[in-house]
Amino acid sequence: MKALRTEDMTLNMGPHHPSTHGVLRFILTSDGEVVHSCRPDVGYLHRSIEKIGEIMTYIGFMPYTDRVDYVCAMNANWGYALAVEKLAKIEVPRRAEFLRAIVGELNRISSHLVALGTMAMDLGAITPFPWALRERERVNDLFEEICGARLTHNYVWIGGVAFDAPDGWLEKVRRFIDSFEKMIPEFNRLITGNKIFHERLVGVGVIDRKTALAYGISGPNLRASGVDWDIRRDIPYGIYPELAFDIPIGGDALGCIDDGYARFVIRVREMEESLKIVRQCLDRFPHEEKEHRTRIRKVKPPVGSVYVASEAPRGELGFFIVSNGTEKAERMRIRTGSFTAMSVVEKIAPGLMVADLVALIASLDVVAPEIDR
Amino acid sequence: MIAYVRNIQDACASIFDGMAVTFSHLFRRPITVQYPDRIPRRIQETLPDRTRGHLEVDLDICISCRACEKACPIECIVIEDVRIPKDSVAGVDGKETARVKEPTRFDINLYKCMYCGLCVEPCPTGAIRFTKEFEGATDDLSRLHLRFVTPERREVVLRKGEGYEREQAEKARKKAEAAAKPEGGKQVDPPAAGEESKEGDKE
Ligand code: SF4
Ligand code: SF4
Repeated sequence: MKALRTEDMTLNMGPHHPSTHGVLRFILTSDGEVVHSCRPDVGYLHRSIEKIGEIMTYIGFMPYTDRVDYVCAMNANWGYALAVEKLAKIEVPRRAEFLRAIVGELNRISSHLVALGTMAMDLGAITPFPWALRERERVNDLFEEICGARLTHNYVWIGGVAFDAPDGWLEKVRRFIDSFEKMIPEFNRLITGNKIFHERLVGVGVIDRKTALAYGISGPNLRASGVDWDIRRDIPYGIYPELAFDIPIGGDALGCIDDGYARFVIRVREMEESLKIVRQCLDRFPHEEKEHRTRIRKVKPPVGSVYVASEAPRGELGFFIVSNGTEKAERMRIRTGSFTAMSVVEKIAPGLMVADLVALIASLDVVAPEIDR
Repeated sequence: MIAYVRNIQDACASIFDGMAVTFSHLFRRPITVQYPDRIPRRIQETLPDRTRGHLEVDLDICISCRACEKACPIECIVIEDVRIPKDSVAGVDGKETARVKEPTRFDINLYKCMYCGLCVEPCPTGAIRFTKEFEGATDDLSRLHLRFVTPERREVVLRKGEGYEREQAEKARKKAEAAAKPEGGKQVDPPAAGEESKEGDKE
């Protein structure tokens, strides 16, 4: 029998596609179900945030960092504040450091919940998504109470945090982490331990250690590939050096490595670690100190430049600022985890099934606005 | 073969496990509400105090210092003002603050506003603040252009401004007279503030 003649087909996936999490486009060539090449086409959500950072004053740019990555606005605020504080040598009160760590880790939990929920949904499991969003709403409630906004928080300010915790807020956080701790096993029953889900992801979208490092992957995606690297521990900032927490990495301890499943499990484990961090912050909270912010009216750093990286839920979030001695930056550059994660798709995709490509993209937890800025 | 059957068994078991979790949610308290109707209270009343909704200004305690105008990154706030005879206002925290100007125009473009709160923070009296109102959807953008100074209020403020100007003119005249008497040769600078108030008058 003669072999059937097949032909490559060019397929356009996105920019509006249910599985691309925002406006993202992939140009695939596939032979039947098998992807031959996949080129991510980014830039649909480009809002010139870096340029805006050069027009705005240092203080005025803060609300825009919310929009760099709106799924974890607290971490984005924090990363920017760290960079400006280092550049202008601004002290941060201890109380503010604790509040920052608490909101930062809560935001990590809520961000991972979105990542896990959408990933499960992309693979056809609908229930985990509302489950995750419900828990995320509880974090948002906490945020709304402390800063007044649910999504674009603008809470971590240069020199501290915008508001002190309202009365009873810390107890509410404790109640949340206590109850959420019990919810994680339920989540694992619901989806992580699900045999079908497991089978669907194991061995899919394998990014080995070498590739991950070569492409500059960071954050949970990097750790899933077995690289022991976490900026919170390795280039510590805030009060992280005082806190004890584990950094889950792919390998025997996790039971999986390199593949989509590892990237899923690692996020579940990271939520547990975040809970640990929040609990420690609550236990050691400096109630005696009252100041939550160094009051500054103007930020006018000396001429120079600075790059400060912080560990956001989607990997290394770094701000590179060149100062010319005025109130506005000469150059603002933002390095985000999603962008590098996107670049690796081109390398990993060939040979995957189209449906597995969806799993790969979902497991990388990319957020479109963070790719484009 | 055994592995194959075991696989199917595991899959079924985990489906039932998942379903059990899903089923248990039938008996939990729902955390969603039926917005906007079918809720006992307006949703605005249930929001926390710090909610960043629409902005409002209490013009009675605004001293027109323009700190909010300067703080706003996108220039949502437009203020025009006149000099008035000096008095003082009690801020929201009860602290007295001197007031030498009052706005004749105080506009906030809510359709540009991103509700960041940078304008609220530097206000010395707490005049500008967030309300819990957030339902801004409209088919008419001008409805989101809030003009806080009503025409009537503007008239009142302008009259105050005229009062200030008369006061200044009076002062200048007296000063000139006093200067003219003993020596007669010294020139008196007109007060700078007087010019400003004329500007306000033109509007
Ligand atoms: S900062 Fe306050 S007092 Fe000053 S102009 Fe604005 S609203 Fe008025
Ligand atoms: S909330 Fe922000 S954007 Fe809105 S008026 Fe105030 S400073 Fe401007």
